[in-house]
Amino acid sequence: MAIIEVRDVKKTYPLGKVEVQAVKGVSFSIEKGDFISIAGPSGSGKSTILNMIGLIDKPSSGEVLIEGRPTSGLSDKELTRLRHEVLGFIFQSFNLIPVLNVWENIEFPLLLGKTKVSATEKKEWIDWLIDEVSLSEWRTHKPNELSGGQRQRVAIARALVTKPGIVLADEPTANLDSSTGEQIIELMKKINRELSTTFIFSTHDAKIVEVADHIIRLKDGLIVENKRLNGAGSPDQVRE
Amino acid sequence: MKYIIPRIALRNLSRQKKRSFLLGGAIAFGIMIVTLINGFAGAFIENVSENFAYLMAGHVFVQGAEKTPSGKRLSVIRDDSIIFSAVRDSGLSYEFATKTSEVSASLFFEGKTIRQNLTGLDLATNLFLRERVVLRQGSWDAIGPDSIILSEKIASRLNVLPGDRITASFQTLTGQNNIADFTLAAISVDSSIIGSVMSYVDLAYINEAIGLKSGEYMALGFMLNDLKAAEAFASRLYTSMAGMGIQLFDRSANEEGSAATPFQAMIRTQRSEDWQGSRYSVYTIDDIVSQAKQIVVALDGASLIILLVLFAIVMIGINNTFRMVMYERIKEIGTMRAVGVQRKEIRSLFLNEALFLALGGAVAGLVLALIAMSILSLIDFGMNTPAFMIMKNGHLSFFVPPLRAVFNVVIIAALTLLAAYFPAKAAAKMEPAVALRTAK
Ligand SMILES: Nc1ncnc2c1ncn2[C@@H]1O[C@H](COP(=O)(O)OP(=O)(O)OP(=O)(O)O)[C@@H](O)[C@H]1O
Ligand SMILES: [Mg+2]
Repeated sequence: MAIIEVRDVKKTYPLGKVEVQAVKGVSFSIEKGDFISIAGPSGSGKSTILNMIGLIDKPSSGEVLIEGRPTSGLSDKELTRLRHEVLGFIFQSFNLIPVLNVWENIEFPLLLGKTKVSATEKKEWIDWLIDEVSLSEWRTHKPNELSGGQRQRVAIARALVTKPGIVLADEPTANLDSSTGEQIIELMKKINRELSTTFIFSTHDAKIVEVADHIIRLKDGLIVENKRLNGAGSPDQVRE
Repeated sequence: MKYIIPRIALRNLSRQKKRSFLLGGAIAFGIMIVTLINGFAGAFIENVSENFAYLMAGHVFVQGAEKTPSGKRLSVIRDDSIIFSAVRDSGLSYEFATKTSEVSASLFFEGKTIRQNLTGLDLATNLFLRERVVLRQGSWDAIGPDSIILSEKIASRLNVLPGDRITASFQTLTGQNNIADFTLAAISVDSSIIGSVMSYVDLAYINEAIGLKSGEYMALGFMLNDLKAAEAFASRLYTSMAGMGIQLFDRSANEEGSAATPFQAMIRTQRSEDWQGSRYSVYTIDDIVSQAKQIVVALDGASLIILLVLFAIVMIGINNTFRMVMYERIKEIGTMRAVGVQRKEIRSLFLNEALFLALGGAVAGLVLALIAMSILSLIDFGMNTPAFMIMKNGHLSFFVPPLRAVFNVVIIAALTLLAAYFPAKAAAKMEPAVALRTAK
């Protein structure tokens, strides 16, 4: 079963008197453990699609299924809970909470909702994550004392702390220089292998696209290419 | 560990230190002013009562009254043994009792005249008087049966010196004109406006002059060791006297639609009543100064209005600030929502911050008020000031009723929450996608 299924999703934004069709009907599915790149030029609808998969925006029509569950009928509260339990987020501009230090930022999602983790288990897990993103020496630092790459590594750890099935990253490297960006993608890839977390990231950097084992290419709100590499299952057909 | 939202709220306060400081400072200032007023009002009654009690030599008073056949009301206690046995029977204790008679007289000396209330008490034995009244000229040793003690002000207006003979003209109990001669024994230091109008004469001498027999007098005052015990003392004494079958006036009277204080109303009711034999009224210093209570009510009312006005202004500031804060932190709001923070938690994040601001400001304001009070109460205004009556031994004194302080803090917290509520609600309502997009 696909971990994510997008069924004929459209999104229109009202813009003054007219409407902008940001996504014009796309369907695809994502398998558990995939490392997917959503590629396409600026304005092609990458962010819009990621937001809808991430349940922070709603399709104008169509359906997004997360782990087989349709999401269109869910209330804000239920969507929030689902985001918390199933999804992790990495943002272009890192989006750490400025008043929390590295350790606290990573811990933050665990303090929400009804997560039940024992204190020692939690500590071990966060320590492991901090080690994984190589920030052990920075655990008590505040975000404004970190470099962009370090901040994004905190964000990666935070996205993983609830052990989500899916991590979404909208242009995670756009605010980083290319070598740091590559390191971030490498880190994501490594975690993808180790924890088999599904990663979906958008980018318009061709070099980074190549790292993915499943590429969905967009243009003008439509999928122009949907291919799976490295024998990671059979690619879906392009649908218009 | 679940308290992440309040924890972030608290830390958020320190992000814009200057802004938090200004808003918190405004709250602190308001609380300080209001607490000072409350503190002054809180001590006001006690100070006035205690000062009155000293001047009148008692906290609780028993007055006797009789009706003459012609309907005139006489103020007289003929036999105080029943009162003392009532006190004894109900196990009440007091510092000392003072028997007084009072008469309004005209004093004459070498062509000068002055109208004066003469307070008759046992000059020879009343130690309390000797403690309280400071003599400028003359001495307690010079006290004789026909002695009079005048204040500096009165003495200078009459132009008398110790040893001079002063003639007093007054009415006896039955309404006849009478005169008596007094020897000025001493001149007292004017201790206040009120103190300066007190003139003391010997009880036995004045009683005889107005037609009271030996052992009779008008009012009996009990000085207690604590002002606060006055009401309990009075009501137990009253009950005990009533139990002995003694005729008593009601301790209170209500006149609907009248501006009179309960005490004035009580006096008026007593005038209109009819009875045979001796009838007694029991009242406290509290009853007498009940007018001062209206001042306290007015002060407290004023402080509440000040509180509300100050905080209407502060609320506008808080409302604006939180609207600004919401936009400044829109990215965080979006992030938190994405990561799994619920709407109502976003709302409480802002409300918590507002609450901490209010509480921090309020506590600072209370502390500032306490500091200001202790500094103000160090100033010695002396006893010779018109404000003497509202002071404690010539010093300002304050008492903030704890409930009043809590009330002020609760009001401030509620208003601050109200001011922050709408921005907080708007922040909570924001769609996460919109918040995240706007942040770019
Ligand atoms: N809130 C909005 N209101 C109106 N139009 C919008 C809104 N958000 C996006 N759009 C439009 O929808 C289309 C897709 O936008 P989207 O942000 O998804 O593109 P993108 O592929 O992420 O671009 P970029 O690479 O620049 O981030 C664009 O034409 C954009 O102008
Ligand atoms: Mg985008």
